[in-house]
Amino acid sequence: MSAAGLKKLTIEHLRGSVAPFALPLEKGKKLTVVYGENASGKSTICDAFEFLGKGRVGSLENRGLGKTNKYWHSVGKNPADVAVTLENLDGSSCRAIILKSDVVANPAASRPRVEVLRRSQILALVEAKPGERYAAINRFIDVSGVETSEAALRQLIRDLTGNSEVALARVRENLDAILQFWEAAGKPGSDPLSWADTESTRDPNSSDAEVAALATLQAAYSRLGDYPARLKSAKAAVQTAKAAAVEAQQKAQECVQTIAADAGEIMGVLESARAYLYKHPAPTVCPLCESAEKVQGLNQRITERLASFSSLQTAQAQTKTAGAGAERLEQQLEALRASAKNHAEGFEMARAGFAWSADITMPAAPAPLDIEALETWLAGVAHLPAEWKKAEMVRQDKKQFVETLKRACTTYTENVQAQKELDTLLPKLNCALEIVAEERRLFSDNILAKIAGEVGRIYELVHPGEGLNKISLELDPNKRASLEIGASFCGETGAPPQAYFSDSHLDTLGLCVFLALAAMDGPENTILVLDDVLASVDEPHVERLIEMLYAEAIEFRHCLITTHYRPWKQELRWGWLKNGQCQFIELSKWTSQQGMTLVRSIPELERLRTLLNETAPDPQLVCAKAGVILEAALDFLTQLYECSVPRRPGGLYTLGDLLPSIDKKLRNALQVEVLVTDAAGASSYQTRSLTPILEELIRVAQARNVFGCHFNALSFELLESDALGFGQKVLELIETLADPDAGWPRNSKSGKYWANSGETRRLHPLQQPT
Amino acid sequence: MDTPSQALAAKITERLVREGLITAEAANRLQPRFADGKLRPEDWRLPIELAKKKDAKP
Repeated sequence: MSAAGLKKLTIEHLRGSVAPFALPLEKGKKLTVVYGENASGKSTICDAFEFLGKGRVGSLENRGLGKTNKYWHSVGKNPADVAVTLENLDGSSCRAIILKSDVVANPAASRPRVEVLRRSQILALVEAKPGERYAAINRFIDVSGVETSEAALRQLIRDLTGNSEVALARVRENLDAILQFWEAAGKPGSDPLSWADTESTRDPNSSDAEVAALATLQAAYSRLGDYPARLKSAKAAVQTAKAAAVEAQQKAQECVQTIAADAGEIMGVLESARAYLYKHPAPTVCPLCESAEKVQGLNQRITERLASFSSLQTAQAQTKTAGAGAERLEQQLEALRASAKNHAEGFEMARAGFAWSADITMPAAPAPLDIEALETWLAGVAHLPAEWKKAEMVRQDKKQFVETLKRACTTYTENVQAQKELDTLLPKLNCALEIVAEERRLFSDNILAKIAGEVGRIYELVHPGEGLNKISLELDPNKRASLEIGASFCGETGAPPQAYFSDSHLDTLGLCVFLALAAMDGPENTILVLDDVLASVDEPHVERLIEMLYAEAIEFRHCLITTHYRPWKQELRWGWLKNGQCQFIELSKWTSQQGMTLVRSIPELERLRTLLNETAPDPQLVCAKAGVILEAALDFLTQLYECSVPRRPGGLYTLGDLLPSIDKKLRNALQVEVLVTDAAGASSYQTRSLTPILEELIRVAQARNVFGCHFNALSFELLESDALGFGQKVLELIETLADPDAGWPRNSKSGKYWANSGETRRLHPLQQPT
Repeated sequence: MDTPSQALAAKITERLVREGLITAEAANRLQPRFADGKLRPEDWRLPIELAKKKDAKP
């Protein structure tokens, strides 16, 4: 949505505005031309817009002043007194003031976008270094975000290309490994991969049960191995124990024979007596016979007698121990036999519990349950454990081989698959990258071409047919952020305009570049300010430059042009320029008391209308003004139709020269189609003949001289109504011929008639009737 | 108003969709981060793979 139209700019104490200055802006007119002699305050108006929109005062920059803030306020005022207010037609406004050293706009959201071009800056962009030129247009072509994302895509492609190469290398490695396995296996079949596929589908754990059974078998076998030795040892131990028992018994018999026959019973009595005396150490009588005789020393005597029986005791104890030992060893021998039997059964279970492969040899006879036969049996199968171990190793190796082959096949398949996927994905990614890079280049090129085309188009408006409009803007591919400007010159394209163009042409180019860039950035929201840029353009091109500015200004929210080019003022006064979109403002001379002031510049036609509308019109003033206007109209018509007028030094023609030069044929042919709009808004052309107007003017033309030019007594004889009628007819002629907003019909492009801007007037005929 | 990056990202994603390299849904998801320069390498891979798989479907 475009921003609202402007209503009024008020400047308080900024630079030349020593007193508050208001610049009213006419509704419906997007172009304001501020005319003023030097030092009338034109630049202050431009500064005010820049102060408001950009928070700076550009006219003071690059003058060796350093920081310019201290010069912003009017003489005798302070920074705090400075304010610029822009009121809009929708009732909104924005006011900028200086707060500390910053320019603060309130409300900030209403701060207008302003682009200012000053005469001193006109060549800045053309003559700038390529890097500075790039910086000026960077905002239109800055696609750094896209470039960063593009770099990420490029990185992905680089990474995946690396991955693809790794996958390819791995495929080769796996293939080599499979080939080696295949060759090691004796090259079965014709294709290593088919063989590997088949082999790798085998269950690597299929021989696990056999390997486990072999382990069980070997363990069972190893348990049997030491029984013969243990049997021998156990048997010898039993034999030795039995011999010891017999010997101990013999010794005990011998002791008994050397001692009394009832020695055993006596020992028992003595033992009991000693136990009694232990409890009654001082008896008065013998506890057995109750005699007091020999009771003295009884305990001593019992101890002595018992000692005489100790050898017998020892022999008896040894006999007992030896017997028990022999008995225990015999039990152990039996246990050994039973254990051997169990283990022999265990071995048989291990052997019979599995369906052994043919390459595994088993004992010809089962393991004997009798331990006595074990030694012979073991000797017969002693070679088998080594074979079983070998068979186990073969199976372990086979398992490992299948697992390795399976891994090789899996890795091969995975890498082939990965490579296939990358082979499909990478071209797509590359295609995407090409699109991104191509669109990015196109985008930048298109924008630069659009800017360059716009510059060329605008340039052609000012310098038509000179062939200098082929402007090019190109990014230097070898340098980042570097922009070259080129133009066509004498058939050479891309020539640096700074090297070939005249100063005037360069000025125009600079202005065109500025306008083209400003138009790129939301012109409908931009206030364009051109400060005295016409001054540097040479005279022949000024007219076209002004026309160009008219045409371009309507694209912007508003365009304000300051100028001290006097012909512009005059042409506007005479309605030679279309001013439908234009508001003309004249500044009077600046004074230190009043500062900047406005002068209302009124077109001549308006002045005549005003004179005629007065209550008592002054015939002399009416005729004088109407005469000058009629001369302007006849000057226009006679030049348009190349009418014959008397040649005279200085080329000054009077009404007497000009009026008759429009001969009767032309006079009768002159007619104007006037575009009128009715109350309902419908437009149509009304044809009005100029013949009766010109006939009447010929009749009353003398009124101009009689009333308007000289003191003439003849005027006493004439009716004042003739004088006023002369004025009315001139007014009618001009209103028919020209449109105050769209100018005079000077354009013959239709090939049928002369037209003004917007064709609100179509003047016929195109040429003098023959 | 779009930044140049946003305008370009929109053009590019539109073309990638037109060329069948990504889906329209993926384009909508990618576009903001694409313009802001926040796409990482892996962010590119998935949408292109997915579009490829979609293509491969009978």
